Amino acid sequence: MRRIAIYGKGGIGKSTTSSNISDALAESGLKVMQIGCDPKADSTSMLTGGRITTVLDTMRDKSDRTLEDMVHEGSNGVLCVECGGPRPGTGCAGRGIIAAFQELDRLDAMDVYRPDVIIYDVLGDVVCGGFAMPIRNGYARDVFVVTSGERMSLYAANNIATAVNDFRQDGYARFGGLIQNSRGIENEDSLISEAAKDIGTDVVFRLPRSPTVQACEDRDTTVISGAPDSDMAGLYRQLAQTIYSRSEDISGGLRLDYAGCNGCE
Amino acid sequence: MSDVFHPRPNPIVAAMYTARDMNVDVIVMHGPAGCSFMASRPLENAGVRVVTSSMKDNDLIFGGGPQLEKTLMEAKKRFDPKTMAVIGTCACTIIGDDIKATIGRVDLGGTNCFAIDCHGCLDNNTEGAIRALKAGANAGIIPQDECDRQSALLKAATALEKNKGMAGRTYLRPAESPTKLSVCRRIIDTLSNGGKVAVVMIAKKELAYRFADIFEAVDTARKRLGGETFFVANLDPDKGLPRIRGYCTDILRDLQAKDVAIDRIIGGLDEYAVVGEEMHETVKGFSPDLTVVLGICHGYPGLDESCVLVTDQPRELSNYLEQGFTAVGEVGSHGLVMGAKGIITLETAQTLRELI
Repeated sequence: MRRIAIYGKGGIGKSTTSSNISDALAESGLKVMQIGCDPKADSTSMLTGGRITTVLDTMRDKSDRTLEDMVHEGSNGVLCVECGGPRPGTGCAGRGIIAAFQELDRLDAMDVYRPDVIIYDVLGDVVCGGFAMPIRNGYARDVFVVTSGERMSLYAANNIATAVNDFRQDGYARFGGLIQNSRGIENEDSLISEAAKDIGTDVVFRLPRSPTVQACEDRDTTVISGAPDSDMAGLYRQLAQTIYSRSEDISGGLRLDYAGCNGCE
Repeated sequence: MSDVFHPRPNPIVAAMYTARDMNVDVIVMHGPAGCSFMASRPLENAGVRVVTSSMKDNDLIFGGGPQLEKTLMEAKKRFDPKTMAVIGTCACTIIGDDIKATIGRVDLGGTNCFAIDCHGCLDNNTEGAIRALKAGANAGIIPQDECDRQSALLKAATALEKNKGMAGRTYLRPAESPTKLSVCRRIIDTLSNGGKVAVVMIAKKELAYRFADIFEAVDTARKRLGGETFFVANLDPDKGLPRIRGYCTDILRDLQAKDVAIDRIIGGLDEYAVVGEEMHETVKGFSPDLTVVLGICHGYPGLDESCVLVTDQPRELSNYLEQGFTAVGEVGSHGLVMGAKGIITLETAQTLRELI
């Protein structure tokens, strides 16, 4: 099983990128689960065509809950999960992410669905322990960051890389590289390449700016399913294969026991 | 930051006890069930109602406001208290619950309900007491000048504990008390030889109900055996919060009924951290052969081999014994004095009575 986390600054296109990766991998015959880790709970809307019940809402409202209440099938059979969270300004969204993961584990989600790939789509920056959960506690093995050439986006990428490297000794997650989601700013390719060098990683894929993406998003669909023959769909398929081949296949449950720290000093 | 390693009370518990001292009728703990449970039980024995909002994981995630609202309404319905304090805990504080705003949303009629902004990681436990006092003064249940006075005393108490008490040591193993026999024999021997025994009670609040029992026992010993005695205590009934003043009144009434007089009253029961110097000066004038110090003994300067120390804390006892003092522990006293209305027998006093 591949355990992949997609991080990045808010609004940079994480959910669009994650959903297209999931959809492309599922289209190629893999069993994919995408877990949205954002209280807005809109990570999987392009895969399901709308909103799904979140893990946390189910935990709050339904005592006799089962996995079917929180795992919903999307396009190409992608298993869609949204952690969900509190209303803005109340409670603790970070605690919510932790509790949602534990709930999926408690209900043996991995044994039941046996996915080949899990894609975690994680809100913005690493703001607290809860949002670091996928990279800290053995949930994700490979972490990729979606970024444009904008300064704040690169800043967030650097923060996430720092967090991953700080936790590296624990032996779980490793930094996989940057995914460029172009905004069309001047010298964007070289700005991002430069940032990757500073972080000590590389740019694994460059997605161009394309109106097809927005058009599909407006119809609540991925490019893979909504414009399957477009150039952009072809690029997303390539990106998906790149991410897949760069991530590690490790057997086991939702949480890695200890993946080992290759190259740790 | 202190790096004390042995278990100690925290600011939440200090806030709870201070709420009791301010005669709050109901304490609502906004946090998980079990938070400060061990402290709640004795407070209930002292007549304070303690309830909890019983936060669950869902409340951590979605916010504990609704759960607190329910708890406040239930407490109002069940107890209809005059005053109610909501004390913050780690859980609700970390997630940023707004206790004050929640109180404002609930119709509590004539109940004066106020929030004490507090959690367990404020380092010194006295910080919780100070926050409780400020909240009480804002809510109008204690005067501002009393709040200021208490806050200063608490800061003195913190300094005393850090410099001479348990908070100054990283780890203390709780000691088992020696029997009270040899201590009592020293009192008896001194008096029988016509010597002078000073008894100094430097008690912290309700513990005075137990330590004060020594005065009657030593007084009786003097009457039977001879010698001289000199009694000093921080039992000023005109100092402190009404509840604490009441303790002094109760104790002085009981002593008077037994015809026992305190020679010098110095300070109130909340002034244990600041009265030691004056007590010591006063006792010096009597030039005792033996001094029995009870309560916060390390608050009394000039402790030496002519002193006998009586504490209620097993770790404090360990602190004293390690320094080579003669000391005994009246361990478990706290449980006995909660809710007391009169003097409670002290094992050291009982031993002395049995020997004379």
